[in-house]
Amino acid sequence: MKIIVCYKWVPDEQDIKIAADLKVDMSMAKWKISEYDKNAIEEAALQAENNAAEVTCLTFGTSKAKQSLKDALSRGPEKAYWVNDAKAENTDGFVTANILAAAIKKVGIPDLIFFGEGSEDSYGQQVGPRVAALLDIPALTFVTKTAVKDDAITTTRSIGNCTEDVTASFPAVVCMLPEINKPRIPSLKQVLKASKKPVEEIKLADLGLSDAELTVKNKVKSIQGFVMNRKNKLYQDGSSAEKVKALVSDLAKEGLA
Amino acid sequence: MDFQLTEEQALVQQNAREFAQTYCEPIAAEIDKTGRHPEETIKQLIAHDYMGMIYPEEYGGAEADYLSYILMVEEISRVCASTGIIYSAHISLSMNPIYKWGSEELKQKYLVPMCKGEKLGAFALTEPGAGTDAASGTCTATLDGAEYILNGTKCFITNGGIADVYTIFALTDPAKGVKGLSCFVVEKNTPGFEIGKHEDKMGIRGSHTSELIFKNCHIPKENLVGEEGKGFKYAMMTLDGGRIGVAAQALGIAQGALDEAVKFAKERVQFGKPIATKQAIQWMLADMETQLQAARFLVYNAAETAGRGVAFSKEAAMAKLFAAEAAEFICSKAIQIHGGYGFIKDFKVERFYRDQRITAIYEGTSEVQRMVIAGSLLR
Repeated sequence: MKIIVCYKWVPDEQDIKIAADLKVDMSMAKWKISEYDKNAIEEAALQAENNAAEVTCLTFGTSKAKQSLKDALSRGPEKAYWVNDAKAENTDGFVTANILAAAIKKVGIPDLIFFGEGSEDSYGQQVGPRVAALLDIPALTFVTKTAVKDDAITTTRSIGNCTEDVTASFPAVVCMLPEINKPRIPSLKQVLKASKKPVEEIKLADLGLSDAELTVKNKVKSIQGFVMNRKNKLYQDGSSAEKVKALVSDLAKEGLA
Repeated sequence: MDFQLTEEQALVQQNAREFAQTYCEPIAAEIDKTGRHPEETIKQLIAHDYMGMIYPEEYGGAEADYLSYILMVEEISRVCASTGIIYSAHISLSMNPIYKWGSEELKQKYLVPMCKGEKLGAFALTEPGAGTDAASGTCTATLDGAEYILNGTKCFITNGGIADVYTIFALTDPAKGVKGLSCFVVEKNTPGFEIGKHEDKMGIRGSHTSELIFKNCHIPKENLVGEEGKGFKYAMMTLDGGRIGVAAQALGIAQGALDEAVKFAKERVQFGKPIATKQAIQWMLADMETQLQAARFLVYNAAETAGRGVAFSKEAAMAKLFAAEAAEFICSKAIQIHGGYGFIKDFKVERFYRDQRITAIYEGTSEVQRMVIAGSLLR
């Protein structure tokens, strides 16, 4: 069984600053593998351990994403593919999916392609299903559990307030929710081994994509921080009934009740 | 000259940071308060292949380079200095003599399980009457047929009572002074070997520091490390390495204190603005960062020198001397920036201040480091 796990290199949200005018400052942010994608990598690593899967990883990123490759490799995959292009700076789900699907075709469509449900920065939830559509294979999204048997994967999908079990035969795309597993901290030996694992850089020009396929459909005009202002009002005086009344009256004033 | 970590070292540093944040930080305040040995962290260090970090794979180690090990000690100490010394006493002090000078049989018997983490190590040189003057010890080892018989007392032993394997120094020929000192491996639970008093310390309280008492303790002759009479040399060479570990511990504590000071200065509002906007605070932070980076370059340089396999006594001494003094300065200023809150146990800087104090004392006081540095200059 072969698995390709796709991941995105994103700014660490802890380091993102929101200024008083709500401008978002990412200049001080360290970068990391998107947390949701770490779940996908962990799930692939578990398949490698339990079902002898051959796992490789794939990312589309700028030259900065080079730092992510050994990190990803320390988490289980045996080889990394990196589509290195400055276009990754201003991309969207459409372009990223075109690039990843073309890269996957180039290296050979595996049995399973794993994604995090969405990326930690924009959380568009587009790329996994789009890649599946481009490759004309099933997409299983919102996955919280996987089980592989013969040439098929059975997944538990968590949708709203119910779950459903869906089985798809290979090849298939699987997009995971964070509750599927707890990504482990790699061991020192895995870290040291990662520096000896192979990395293959793929040039965008070699993927044979047209200009239309590389032109974003969505453009970000501006990004603003969201600040939740709390009123911190305490209802301390009076009986419980009076406090409830005061609360309802305040909510009504806000147009909420 | 390159001041950058290699890609591999940067990855180990990131891994060490993630490890420390996940396993050491959440219990650091608790083990400081209770004095409990963090057994669960040792289990995680084992699971993550860190217990034999710098030793060859053939002995179960991970064969990482020396600077990577120093980065690990720094990152652990940044959140929990107790765990930092438990770890470095095992890796560098206890295992180094066995690895460097021990027989192949000793390596198989002790180094292999220590690398795997099945056995934790300790190093015992200090005695009640022999601290800086390590040569004035009275602990003896008398050869009797196929055994050595140990008698005497060691004190202030890190991991004492917790460790399974003790690398100890005793006089095989008391008349010869330092030239009569030899190194041995003693297992926990050997008849005649008892753990004495546990010290109630100012800092690094999660690390156990105990007295070791030997009363007619018989150990196999084969547990002699290297040659008789070479113990003092082995101890001094091992302490050179240990000093870089303590320097890294001081560096980690200082970084932890600076992290907290910066965070507090940005959050604490006085006169309507965060105190970080005040020049009085900014100047303190600038001095702290400068001291810290200077210490870091000395510590990493000592580790790189040691890693190259050339003499590094002076580099290790300078690193430990400077890093310990920088840590005291930085932790003191971190408390100053916190004001009254810095004096309260709810804030980490209170613990960091107590924890850093030992780094100017153990594995050679700052005065001993100056002796080593001056000795090297005046040779």
